Amino acid sequence: MKMFFLILGMSLVTYLGRLLPVLFFSQKNNRPRVEKFLRLIPYSAMTALVFPGVLSVDSDFVAIGVVGALTALILSWYGMSITVVVIGAILVNMLMYAM
Amino acid sequence: MSSREQYLLGVKAAFPVILGVLPVSIAFAVLSEHSGLNAMETILMSVMVFAGASQIMALGMFVTGAGLLPIIIATFILNFRHVIMGACVMNRMQTTPMWKKVILCFGVTDESFAIFTTMEEKNSTASYFAGLISVTYGTWVLGTILGCAAAQFLPPLVSRSLGIALSAMFIGLVIPNVRKNLQLGFLVIVTALLNIAFGQVMPASWAIISATLLGAFLGIFFVEESSEEAA
Repeated sequence: MKMFFLILGMSLVTYLGRLLPVLFFSQKNNRPRVEKFLRLIPYSAMTALVFPGVLSVDSDFVAIGVVGALTALILSWYGMSITVVVIGAILVNMLMYAM
Repeated sequence: MSSREQYLLGVKAAFPVILGVLPVSIAFAVLSEHSGLNAMETILMSVMVFAGASQIMALGMFVTGAGLLPIIIATFILNFRHVIMGACVMNRMQTTPMWKKVILCFGVTDESFAIFTTMEEKNSTASYFAGLISVTYGTWVLGTILGCAAAQFLPPLVSRSLGIALSAMFIGLVIPNVRKNLQLGFLVIVTALLNIAFGQVMPASWAIISATLLGAFLGIFFVEESSEEAA
């Protein structure tokens, strides 16, 4: 029962964060700077989600995150699809753990 | 384009994300098993919360004996970035009725936000988003069920290697755009440095939110968009 309340609480606060912009950001925004800000957010957000967190993806084996991220970086730089990028990074990490 | 076609376009756009999401959902289920949750609780959490990083964090706090309230507050803080992401997503749905947005916003995640907001603006409609999140949500729940079933059989070599999937996917989404516009690369470096700096003085989840906001704000002044990239 305790676990159910934990899950319920987590789901309510998570949904609240998703609902807030629906309630407060629904009017058309014509200010070009605000528009540009919102267009740049995806890139800054994804950067912040990856770095430096990726370095501690395995805190006992720092090279896992470094080499995994570098693999993804190189593959995507050379125009590979996201599918190849993800599988490539996983395979390289598997090899590292196997060695 | 009919809304049905837009929906299917969204479904198709989500296919690469399956590969980013599935390993994480399996990893979550395996971890959950090890943390002492039963399969029912594990699946219920994925169905109701649908936010991978916070679910994995909750397990970590749970095994160290944290109470309900601290875990719920930490969940709120970690997922607060959805407010910013949701603002970007909802900015592209101004003609969509409120009741639809109240439902669709449940599907705002790092992945759906990343795909939707890096799409050309004319293609990113509410129906497209619905198609996108049908696949991400379905994958998240199915992956959790798979993970529960496979928890005993999956070799640790495999389950540990899945940890990189999400980061690899974000890198794969950002880099092609950086190649087209190197000033975006500068934005990436500035944001990463900000995130490290903020991380010294505040919890990581707040550092991520602060670095995201300040990075994009500074970007207004140094990133020049051509009409093509602005799309």
